Amino acid sequence: MATKPKVGLVFFPAFDWAIAADHPEREERLLYTRDQLREEGLLDLPAIKEFRPGIATRQDIERVHICVPSVEAVCTESHLIAAGGTITAGDLVFSGKTERAFALLRPPGHHAMRIVHGSRGFCTINIEAVMIEYLRKLRNGRFRVAVVDTDAHHADGTQDIYYNDPDVLHISIHQDGRTLYPGTGFLNELGGPAAYGLTLNVPLPPGSGDAELLYVVEQLVLPVLHDYQPDLIINAAGQDNHFTDPLTSMNITAQGYARLTELLAPDLVVLEGGYSIEGALPYVNVGIILALAGLDYTGVREPELPRGVEKAGPVDETVVKKVAFLQEVWAKRKEIDLAAIFGRGDYFRRQRRLYYDTDDIYEFQDEEIKICSSCSGYRKIYSLAEDDRRKPVRIAAVLLPWHACATCEQEAAAAFDRLAAEPALDYVYFQNPAAGQQPLVSRAVRREREN
Amino acid sequence: MSFLIGIDVGGTNTNGVLLKGVQVLSTVRTPTDHHNLHAGTEEVLTRLLQALPGEEREPVELHLSTTLATNAIVEGKGAPTAVLIIPGPGLRWEDLPVPFKLYPLAGAIDHRGRETGPLDREEVRAAVRAAKAAGYQALAAVGKFSPRNFQHELAIEELIKAEFPELAPVTLGHRLSGRLNFPRRITTAALNASIAALQAEFVRMVEAVRDQYRLGKVYLLKADGGTLALHESVHRSIETILSGPAASLMGTMALTEGLADAVALDIGGTTTEISVFVGGEPLAEREGAVIAGYPTLVPAFFSRSLGLGGDSQVTFDGDRVTIGPQRMGPPAALGGSGVTPTDAVVVLGGAALGDARQAYAALEMMGAPYGLEPHALAEKIVDAFAQQAAAAIEEVYAELNSQPVYTVSQVLAGAKLWPEQLIGMGGPAAYFIPKIAGKLGLPYQVLPYYEAANAIGAAASRPTFAITLRADTALRKLVVPELDYEAAIGQPFTFNLEAARQEAVRQTVNYARKMGAAVAADEVEITEEEVFNMVRNFYTVGKNFNLRAQVKPKICRIGPTAAGAL
Repeated sequence: MATKPKVGLVFFPAFDWAIAADHPEREERLLYTRDQLREEGLLDLPAIKEFRPGIATRQDIERVHICVPSVEAVCTESHLIAAGGTITAGDLVFSGKTERAFALLRPPGHHAMRIVHGSRGFCTINIEAVMIEYLRKLRNGRFRVAVVDTDAHHADGTQDIYYNDPDVLHISIHQDGRTLYPGTGFLNELGGPAAYGLTLNVPLPPGSGDAELLYVVEQLVLPVLHDYQPDLIINAAGQDNHFTDPLTSMNITAQGYARLTELLAPDLVVLEGGYSIEGALPYVNVGIILALAGLDYTGVREPELPRGVEKAGPVDETVVKKVAFLQEVWAKRKEIDLAAIFGRGDYFRRQRRLYYDTDDIYEFQDEEIKICSSCSGYRKIYSLAEDDRRKPVRIAAVLLPWHACATCEQEAAAAFDRLAAEPALDYVYFQNPAAGQQPLVSRAVRREREN
Repeated sequence: MSFLIGIDVGGTNTNGVLLKGVQVLSTVRTPTDHHNLHAGTEEVLTRLLQALPGEEREPVELHLSTTLATNAIVEGKGAPTAVLIIPGPGLRWEDLPVPFKLYPLAGAIDHRGRETGPLDREEVRAAVRAAKAAGYQALAAVGKFSPRNFQHELAIEELIKAEFPELAPVTLGHRLSGRLNFPRRITTAALNASIAALQAEFVRMVEAVRDQYRLGKVYLLKADGGTLALHESVHRSIETILSGPAASLMGTMALTEGLADAVALDIGGTTTEISVFVGGEPLAEREGAVIAGYPTLVPAFFSRSLGLGGDSQVTFDGDRVTIGPQRMGPPAALGGSGVTPTDAVVVLGGAALGDARQAYAALEMMGAPYGLEPHALAEKIVDAFAQQAAAAIEEVYAELNSQPVYTVSQVLAGAKLWPEQLIGMGGPAAYFIPKIAGKLGLPYQVLPYYEAANAIGAAASRPTFAITLRADTALRKLVVPELDYEAAIGQPFTFNLEAARQEAVRQTVNYARKMGAAVAADEVEITEEEVFNMVRNFYTVGKNFNLRAQVKPKICRIGPTAAGAL
């Protein structure tokens, strides 16, 4: 038996799938990356081994999402393979087959939230979350994960899924939401009552480059990871912060990305966005793979670096201030008066309007989280979605957290029964990640509405 | 009916066969003299020609499978070789996993074949001068992404031809393979350059023999089971590596009926070679042959070598028997000092070989401390042998079935390669075949041990050619690197997959013609094809096409009666 490869690569370019013919999320997206990986001969290196992606099951998806009306209705096979391939990558590290793994696949997932009515920000299924929940299930929920999302867009989906989860730290570094989809990810989004301070957002001003990104990593991310001591570090590696990306206004280079990977030393890297398919992805991905394998990446550079991009100037002032603010939040997160933020009631309630840009769906959500002293509290979500192609859909979901206490379990069951009796709802779901073999979304009620 | 001679120069013996059509007329064997390959080959040839009917006046075609290239590489006897590389951005050239002297040059080509950095001719000159001064006698030139744009490599060739004729010809990477893999292309080109002089000498020798005996066309066997015209082998000698194993598989195909999906085992003294047939044809390596530890882009049959053979070392700890991977030496039955699997077969009466009493005594000595009778131990050894071989076969298929695929439909289709039968080569090792098949739950076939099988394989093989076609309608460019072919796409908006296919077939037929073989368009098959829409800023700006086309290895079935008669 040969020595254990350092990096397991699950490469799945889905050459026969696109959102639409001219959409950025298309067949061609990873073609030039494949050509570059092949030409570099990376797969012949003993440190790197390629693996075939698995296919996620309905149960894998339902551990994370409430798909409306069903997993089958919102997922294509490529979504199941992207999620399955991410599980494959997670499994490689979890089982010790490889030291680290890179899920270099599409379509991406970090805009997909807990409730899925369709596709937002090119994402339908949150591939990192599906993988995290798969591994957590293997460890009966005793598993702490840190996700560092470096895509140029705020990882609002992953944030939504883990907003109140004390076992998942979520840090998103992105272009300021005032200037880019999805328009969220500000400093004050810090997590729910059971996980306050475990959601951190670092919005970077447009034009930020390697200096700013690496400053955030060194000054904030690394110390926070050191404190949190996760069992697994995931880098959700969107590559649309590259200086050539057509959809964003950032200035990261392949060298910056490789250095980020080296500093972060993630167990798992998962591709998210990145649509400069010729000018960025081939180089950034080679840089990430070399850095993960512990090989010299200094020879990886784009054919043309624009003037000034490569030069490390002083770090932008506003970034320094934001980092200082978040450092303080982190340091004081355990002393904070939660009642002052979440109120003194039994529930924390938030209402949101969400827009699914890819599928043109409007959603209204009303969410209640039980503030519980024995567990992170069950959740109750009402969701109404409408688009111009069909009637509005009204659903409700009751969600148990990992390690739910007996009281929350009873209250959640009672809440479900009440909701199931509500005639205005089309579907009512119940999700329990700790459930055994039975369907995770159990006792779903489907009502044939009149008219 | 035309006459054909096949000669396989093997490690131990040189075998020759004279075919009339699909009928074996004569076979000849002599021990291989490694110090004088020419003499042995000539001897086999003259003896075969004596079997030719006296009235025959048609020139006889000769197919040769030689170990010349393989041995030169394995023994490191090639000329001192340096490679001029144009590494461009990416993995640092100092970290390239290639064991050759490299001279890095400025210049770069990107993944679409666009020049992103110019070649500096003065730097090329300086590098060649430096290589010459350092005593390198052979040169190769390889650029990153040169199969997409080979102008830099051509410019280097031209410069060397004009200014350093004593170092010409230089081997260019893009001509040997259109596949993308820069390190493998460097290795392939460097090895080719290093053995070019030896090959040229060999070709002159064979041409002299050909003229002396008034033979017809002469072909050399390649690692992919096809043949290469003798005169062309001067430029592409690297393709003739590993022709022995290829001849063996082609021989198996020529002599066996109903191969379909099968796994073939060739159990030798030190190793067992595992080959895979799918749909009756030998499976090819995904990237290319590995020779002496060098991964190359040379098309070759898939095979895996297992450190398990008739002469392997047997260890017994009182409970478990382990075999190999070390070689023990000759079996005790043949005067060796320790127990080998062959001795177990001898004790069980599976083969009459050497002195059975010595085998018995050796097993007795091994089993005695644990109170195990020689017979029982022999059965344990055979079982362990079969177990290890079966596990290795399962591992080979697991590897094949886990090879990555890049489309949704391929993932959903899954990969379910599994043999329908086990094919074993004859000889004393045939004893193990039914046991291994039993472990795998497969039916089996043992081919009669047939010394001339490799020579028949060589004789029955046909020329093969493969090309790569890349077309990019946004750049309006079409290239076939193997042929130095580059053309503008005149009608980029109507150029489609069908047009690309036709062009690939046309180019393959031309290639065959250039190499001295007549190939009809319907003998060419497209083995890989992809087409991608290229979208920039939400508009389709063109398509790019990647195709590979080939004339497949073909084999004449040699009638079992003719072969059995020998």
